[in-house]
Amino acid sequence: MKLLLVPALVVLAVFAAALASLFRWSLLEFIPGSLQTGGLTLANFRGVLAPQYLGAIQDTVVLSALTTVLTLVCAYPVAYALARTPSRRVRSVLLVLTLAPFFTGAIVRTYAWVLVLGNTVVSWPVPMLFTERGVLVGLVHFSMPTMILILAAALSHIDPIYERAAASLGASPARVFRRVTLPLSMPGIMSGGLIVFAWTLSAFPTPELLGGGKVKMIANVVKDLGLDSFNWPGAAAFAMLALALTLALLTAVGRLSTARAS
Amino acid sequence: MRPRIVVTVLVALLILPLLGVPARAQNALVVSTWGGNWKDTVEKVIGKAFTAKTGIPVEYEVGGTIDRLAKARVAKGNPLVDLTFTTTHVARLYISDGLYEKLDMAKLPHAREIAREALRSDYHVGSWAYVYTIAYRPDLVKEDITKWSDLWKPSLKGKIAMPDFDPSHIITIAALMEGGNEINWQKGESRLRQLKDSVAAFFSTDAQSQDLMKTGQGPVQVMLSVNAYHLQEQGIAVKVVQPTDYPGVVGIDTMAVMAGTKKADAAHQFINLALSREIQSELVKALRAGPVHPGAVVPANLRGQPGIFLSAAEWKERGYIMNDEARAKNLPGWREWFTANIVKK
Repeated sequence: MKLLLVPALVVLAVFAAALASLFRWSLLEFIPGSLQTGGLTLANFRGVLAPQYLGAIQDTVVLSALTTVLTLVCAYPVAYALARTPSRRVRSVLLVLTLAPFFTGAIVRTYAWVLVLGNTVVSWPVPMLFTERGVLVGLVHFSMPTMILILAAALSHIDPIYERAAASLGASPARVFRRVTLPLSMPGIMSGGLIVFAWTLSAFPTPELLGGGKVKMIANVVKDLGLDSFNWPGAAAFAMLALALTLALLTAVGRLSTARAS
Repeated sequence: MRPRIVVTVLVALLILPLLGVPARAQNALVVSTWGGNWKDTVEKVIGKAFTAKTGIPVEYEVGGTIDRLAKARVAKGNPLVDLTFTTTHVARLYISDGLYEKLDMAKLPHAREIAREALRSDYHVGSWAYVYTIAYRPDLVKEDITKWSDLWKPSLKGKIAMPDFDPSHIITIAALMEGGNEINWQKGESRLRQLKDSVAAFFSTDAQSQDLMKTGQGPVQVMLSVNAYHLQEQGIAVKVVQPTDYPGVVGIDTMAVMAGTKKADAAHQFINLALSREIQSELVKALRAGPVHPGAVVPANLRGQPGIFLSAAEWKERGYIMNDEARAKNLPGWREWFTANIVKK
C-alpha cells in the first residue's frame, strides 16, 4: 500500500525542487544584457517593491475580490434554478449552457470578449475594452461555470422541507431565502468563493488580452519581467513575493470560512 | 502480486511519455525558428534548397523567442538544435552565455557579399531585415500620417497601439527627436510622457498587434513592417509610412551555429546558402522583408517600401540601426521606465 504513495511523493518532490530553484533564482544578481547572473543579493526583492509592481499586486487582490463577489451574485440564481427546477428539460438546458464554456478554450472565450467589449458588436456608454471593467467582465464569465456547479451541488443537498416549513410558519419567500436557504448554502458559497478567488489571483490570459497591456495582474508582471526584460531573478523574486501573499490571503480566507461554517 | 502491478504501472507511466517524443533522423540538421509563417518560409525557401543541394534533411524546432532561448540555456553544451534564428539583440544574450559557436567565415563565402550591417558579430549574421515604423488604417484615421512627430498630434489621442514587450523603438525615436539616441535615451523622456494619453492599447505579440489593427482598436501603430505587409495581403487597408523626419528603426533577424553541435559544417552550409543572392531573392518575396544581400531581386511592388533596402547605403539612409549591445543591456531598464511612466494608469 505504501507504494501507492510514490506518485504523490514524486509530484511533491518535483514541485519542491521547482520552488527551491525559484527561490535560488530570486537571490541571484541580475546583470542586464546578459544571461549570466552575479552573486547572492536581496536587491531583486527591493526591486519588486517598486510602486508599479506593488500596484499590480493591489490590482490583482481587488480584481480577485470583485470577481469572487460578482461571480457569486451572478451564479447563485442559476445554481438555484439548476438545483430546484422540477423540469428535467430546464435542468438539462441549464446544465448544457453552464458547461458549454468549458468546451471552448480560455483564449477563444477571451477573444470573443475582445470583440464584444470593443464597440464592434455593442456600443458601450463607457470604455470597456482595455480597462479594469472589461477585465472584470472576462474574469467573471470565466469563473461562472465552476461557481454554478459548486453552488448547485451545495443547494441540492439542502432538503426543501426546511424551506417549506419556514413558509408554512408565515415567512415570506425573501425571508425564507435570507434565514434558511442562504445560511444552509454557506459551505458551497465559501468553497466556491475560495476556488474562484484563488484562481483569479493567478489569472493570465484574461488580463493579458482584455487589459491591452494597461491592466497588469501578478502573472502578467512575472511574464513581463521574465520573458520580456530577460530579468529571470526579478521574475523569480516577484513570483516568490506573490506566492507568499497568495498563501497568506488563502489562509486568512480559509480560516474565515472555517469560523463561519462552525 | 499487488506491489508488482503497481511498479509495472509506474514504470509504464514513466516510459509512455518518452515514446511520444518524436524521433529525429540521425543525420538531420535541426533548425530553431519561430512558428507559423516564419517556419514555413525557412522550410520552403532555405530548408528544401539545402536538402536538395546537400542531401541532408532538415528538421525544425519552433517556439517563441524567449522559450527557445530558455531551452537552449538548459541544453547548454549538448544543444538540442544545431542552428538558431533569432533577433539580433536577443542573439547577444545567447552570446553572453556562450551558447553560440564562433562563425568560421571561410565556410561562409556568401557572407562577403552581404550588407556590412548584416554582419552582426563574430557569432551571428543577419538573415533578413525589417523596420518598426508607423502603420495606420486610412479608413479609420482621416488625416495623413507622414512623420514620427505626427504621433503626438492631439487628434490621434486614444488611437495608437504600440509594443510594451519591447518599447525600444519609440524610446529611441523620442530620444532622436530630442537630439539623443539609444545610449542617452533619457533626453526623450518628457516627450514620451506626452504620448501617454494617446495610447489605446499595448501589445505583447505580433498576433495581438495584427488583431488590434484588424478590429480597429489600435488603428495607428508602431508596427513591424512585415506584419503590416501581411495584413495588406489579407485585404486590410493598412498604410505603411516611411517617416520623413526620422527613419524607421531597423530590426534584423539573425542565424547562428549552436556551441557544441556536432553538425557545425552542415549549419555553416545552411547559413551560407541562406545568404546567397538566389535564396535572398526568394526570401524577399515570401516574407516581404528586406534582403541582406544587396544584389537580391526585389519585386517592383516592394521596391522603396519601408524595411526593404536595395543597397548597402540604404541600410543607413532609410533605417536607424540600434546598437545591439546597448539595446540588450538597456531593455530591462527601458521596460521598467516605460511601465511606470507610460503604461501605468
